[in-house]
Amino acid sequence: MPTIVIASPKGGAGKSTTAILLGTELAHAGANVVMLDCDPNHSLTLWADRAPLPDRIRVLSNVTESDIVRTIKQHDTDGQIVVVDLEGVASRLVSRAISQADLVITPMRATTLDATIGVRALQLVAEEEEALDRKIPHVVVFTMTKAIRSKQHSSIAESLARQGVDLIDPPLMERAAFSALFEFGGNLRNMPAQGNMDGAIENAALFARAVYMRLAEGA
Amino acid sequence: MSDGKAFNIDLGRLKSREKDRSPQAIEKAERAGEELGFVARDGQKRRGRKPSPRTGQVHAKVMPGIPEEIANEAKRRGVQQGVLIEEAWILYKIKSGI
Repeated sequence: MPTIVIASPKGGAGKSTTAILLGTELAHAGANVVMLDCDPNHSLTLWADRAPLPDRIRVLSNVTESDIVRTIKQHDTDGQIVVVDLEGVASRLVSRAISQADLVITPMRATTLDATIGVRALQLVAEEEEALDRKIPHVVVFTMTKAIRSKQHSSIAESLARQGVDLIDPPLMERAAFSALFEFGGNLRNMPAQGNMDGAIENAALFARAVYMRLAEGA
Repeated sequence: MSDGKAFNIDLGRLKSREKDRSPQAIEKAERAGEELGFVARDGQKRRGRKPSPRTGQVHAKVMPGIPEEIANEAKRRGVQQGVLIEEAWILYKIKSGI
């Protein structure tokens, strides 16, 4: 089964939120999901400790540079999807995880700073593709977007598209329910209502479906 | 609130690609990363002797010859002098019913 690596050297880009939304929606759709928490801030673990994990999800904490390849290998087996949540720095751990990815997702807020730093993850993927002589599919997802798209957002999206970067549609909007995952744990479907829950669930499900389609098409 | 599945996953369509996990391949990936500033960040293991857990101190004057005897006995057993003082204190507590 595929390994999905969530990578951006920029902190606060929405990596852990993206990982949780993706993992919980894929599990809701019927997949077994193993989530690897490689972030020293333990964001995934904090979420996992808040409430019983949803069905078909396991979280492994404290995965480090020295055991990332072995851990992915151990769980990259038939019947389950591995989602790797990385730390928000440029590290060897990131290089190693990307080398084992079937899909790299780079979450990015639609700001110049996020785009500038986030692009380094795309450069790393390109370098590793060349070094390993293997295609590593990668996509960008905009996070914390607003209902009305800013000029900066449009400009960055156009710039990335011109460079041939695959942008996931829909982006992940700024939603109370997404940030509340770290308060209540679990998934969007079992948490107390936070703002527009139907909108949040639809957003997360369509995002996960877009990721699934890329995995299925690339298989 | 919506509770239905937005989509169903066909597990048969999800396949993992073959990946090279040899040390040589990992080293190639690391080299590619290092050129872009993706370097080792994990803390290196500290070398040398671990710090002693004995952080307390006693300040005792004793009769001449006793310090040498304590030092020699500690050396013979391969322990710190503090270990002998701790043992002596335990015996004293037992004897005194403390």
